[in-house]
Amino acid sequence: MIVKDVYQYVERYLEAMQCEIIEKSSYHIKVKLSAAADKELTNRPFYWSFIERSSEKPETLSFCFIFDQEKYEQHKKLEEESQAALSKEEKLAESILERTFGVPAKPLSRVLQEHLYFGSPRLEQIFQSTKQNGSYVYLFEETRIAGLHPLESKAYTAWLGINYRVEYCCDRKREEIYSLGISLVTGYVMEQFYEKLIRKRLSPKLPSNVHIAKHAITYNKALTLAEQYIERKLKQYDYSWAKEANERLKEELARINHYYEPLLQQAVDEEQQFKIKQQFEQRKEEIRWQFEPRIKVTVTNCGLFHLEGID
Amino acid sequence: MNIHQSFETNKSAESINKPINQDVTISFDRSWFGELLSHIEHNGPWHQWSMFQLAMEAEQASLVKDFDQLQCLSKLPHIEPMDHQLQTAKKVVHEMGGRAILADEVGLGKTIEAGLILKEYMVRGLAKRVLILVPASLVLQWVRELNSKFSIQAVAQRKNYTWDAEVIVASIDTAKREPHREQILATDYDLIIIDEAHKLKNKKTTNYQFALQLSKKYCLLLTATPVQNDLEELFNLISLLKPGQLGGQSEFNSTFVVDKRMPKNEQLLQDALAKVMIRNTRQDSAVSFTKRHVQNIILELSDDEKNLYEEVTRFVHEQAQDSTIDISSLLSLVTLQREVCSSRDAVFLTLINMFKKTEEGSRIRDMIWALVDHIKRVKSNTKSEQVLQLIKSKNEKFIIFTEYRATQEHLLHFLQEHNITAVSYSGGMNRGKKDWMMDLFKGRAQVLIATEAGGEGINLQFCHNIINYDLPWNPMRVEQRIGRVHRLGQQHDVYIYNLCTKGTIEQHILNLLHEKINMFELVIGELDVILEKLEQDEGSIEQQLAKLLIQNKDEQQLNDALAKLGSSIRQHAKQEQTHNRLKPSTAINHSSTKGVQL
Repeated sequence: MIVKDVYQYVERYLEAMQCEIIEKSSYHIKVKLSAAADKELTNRPFYWSFIERSSEKPETLSFCFIFDQEKYEQHKKLEEESQAALSKEEKLAESILERTFGVPAKPLSRVLQEHLYFGSPRLEQIFQSTKQNGSYVYLFEETRIAGLHPLESKAYTAWLGINYRVEYCCDRKREEIYSLGISLVTGYVMEQFYEKLIRKRLSPKLPSNVHIAKHAITYNKALTLAEQYIERKLKQYDYSWAKEANERLKEELARINHYYEPLLQQAVDEEQQFKIKQQFEQRKEEIRWQFEPRIKVTVTNCGLFHLEGID
Repeated sequence: MNIHQSFETNKSAESINKPINQDVTISFDRSWFGELLSHIEHNGPWHQWSMFQLAMEAEQASLVKDFDQLQCLSKLPHIEPMDHQLQTAKKVVHEMGGRAILADEVGLGKTIEAGLILKEYMVRGLAKRVLILVPASLVLQWVRELNSKFSIQAVAQRKNYTWDAEVIVASIDTAKREPHREQILATDYDLIIIDEAHKLKNKKTTNYQFALQLSKKYCLLLTATPVQNDLEELFNLISLLKPGQLGGQSEFNSTFVVDKRMPKNEQLLQDALAKVMIRNTRQDSAVSFTKRHVQNIILELSDDEKNLYEEVTRFVHEQAQDSTIDISSLLSLVTLQREVCSSRDAVFLTLINMFKKTEEGSRIRDMIWALVDHIKRVKSNTKSEQVLQLIKSKNEKFIIFTEYRATQEHLLHFLQEHNITAVSYSGGMNRGKKDWMMDLFKGRAQVLIATEAGGEGINLQFCHNIINYDLPWNPMRVEQRIGRVHRLGQQHDVYIYNLCTKGTIEQHILNLLHEKINMFELVIGELDVILEKLEQDEGSIEQQLAKLLIQNKDEQQLNDALAKLGSSIRQHAKQEQTHNRLKPSTAINHSSTKGVQL
């Protein structure tokens, strides 16, 4: 993600969270968080539980997210210079106000300033927040009504959409994403389902003049179909990495055997033997943990998608 | 609408495992499925489509696309690792299975290498729980570097239990004690990093035994000391990391050891070591340090200053005659003599403190008063004038190091009187103040006057002039001072000015450091090894020097004694160099990191 990607991403997140954007340029966004976003990002559980119990009006935090630090600083410098150009009288007036009433003339609001870049903890937190808040959806494709007879009805198919993440692990790791759609009408499994979805207009509302084709496939069946599909697909791949990892594992196990066997034989009493054995076992466990090849399939998010046509 | 189909009870487990082939099994997580069904059953609540897309885009952006490339670099805009650091990180992650000894020479950035490896494992999702064990004085520095350079939210372990944080930095001495011990031993750590790992060389220590019990997947041991100088220690260290890498104990002895310091089958040993250890040397890693220019400025004291020095010396020697005197009083007496070379303020303060401690009406009190009178009579300020002249002649930033707070205060006022902006820096300041002083020095002040150089890891590459207003007796501390400035990232040649008053103990010390052991030209990293060996036999170098000074009143005797000490240090240095030539250390170097296949 380059600066521009991060900017657009965060902007969309703040929008989805219904935050109030106070000011923005191409290198920064100043924002007052919505209550929902505040709960996600500011780590103030005590504050929020207090607010909820006391029914006080919550005061959310404001942030100034900076995406391009260099440009932002240039911009600030210019701003300061123009501030300095304020006529002396104005300043005098302000300072008199301040002295007389003991308060600054302009309201002070605390705005937390933060550099957001790919890899920054805050962006990582926003990523986590999107995963928490974007896991399960139920959507309908919007349809072009024009030209449709009021009594005519379009047939829609319900799809179970699953975004899988496949992790190939040993002491090293690689990942892939598989986005599958399983038609609940026919049991057809479509790959790159997500790519298809993002080209459509989707809404949580059922459009008028639409009917959903009868499900022939249960959710459980769809789940099985999806997993079988992944399994079949993965079986065709090259597993030299796993073979190599197993070889390393064997080598490593042989190596510690070689180290501990003589120690066990030389142990002077049972207590010592027990200790060595314990350590031996621990080392073996560690090595398996480190090298054993495995494939982990998890789900990033999923949902039911009702799309035009019968597939 | 027939969306609501009948709900089969979902008997499937949270996850299921199936073999893919003989080498690997696949496990499907199914926890999401139950959730989905419950959302369907309750007709919601459903998430937004936009959030769904953002989550998916986050997933795509963070995806680890291949086994081999370093993923962490795109997430680290604040550092620019050097080539040898990148090669090291790649090699450890891709070829060594994440268990390695990082044994670069001092100043090549082992911490950066460890940080890169840690970050890489975190980014790949292979490390979550991480324990970093370092000497107590380095805990905060590690935490700061991990946070600022690597955006890793590491937490320093405090007295109360902070063990549930994911990345923890702690000192091994704390960690091994209850109640911490139990918690740590009950945790499986994805990665353990141990800094200054050569301290774990002795099998019998509690620290070693504790380290042995830790449960870990990946492990990095950091050390700058060329451990292969002692084969037994090397064996112990590797047994922590990869037991059996050098065979079993008896096998190791018969295959590799002639005597403690002399290996046999060197090539074999080198090959075995190359699999667990990376040692980048300054020479091989093409890291170019700028030059050091050392200038000793010998100052002739004015008459009144000379007079004071002689009076103090006489007092010191008279007091030292007292047979009941202990070593610590002896040291403080010698300090007096050193202070008078630094500034009259310094010696004055110490005298006053001494005065307070002595009994009323004692003869010593009178003597002290007499000295104070001498101090009052001193009007000239030879050293400070010299400093002023130096600073004015160059009009660049300067760091002045002194051993004494009183001298620091004096200089601060003196420079301000002469319209030179100066700030001070000392060990007693809290972190915030230290940072503030650094910022002031970087931005506004021309001069920083520091009493402390070590430990806290202050980096001052933007300055390249150092004045040693007075010299510490321990060469390591001199090296630490210079190291603040003369390090990676320094763009200019570094100028070091040693101020030294003629005919005083300062001159002897400078003589020893500069001419006899040639310390200003020594390769960084050699010195600590040499000193460690020296001090093992004879006690700290400060103590050795103090004894020499008190025992040898005669100028000639003192010179001879110092020459002897100097040659003994040189001897150690020579041994060290021979060792390095004989032992694998020279071979296990960059050549092994260069061959990395990407």
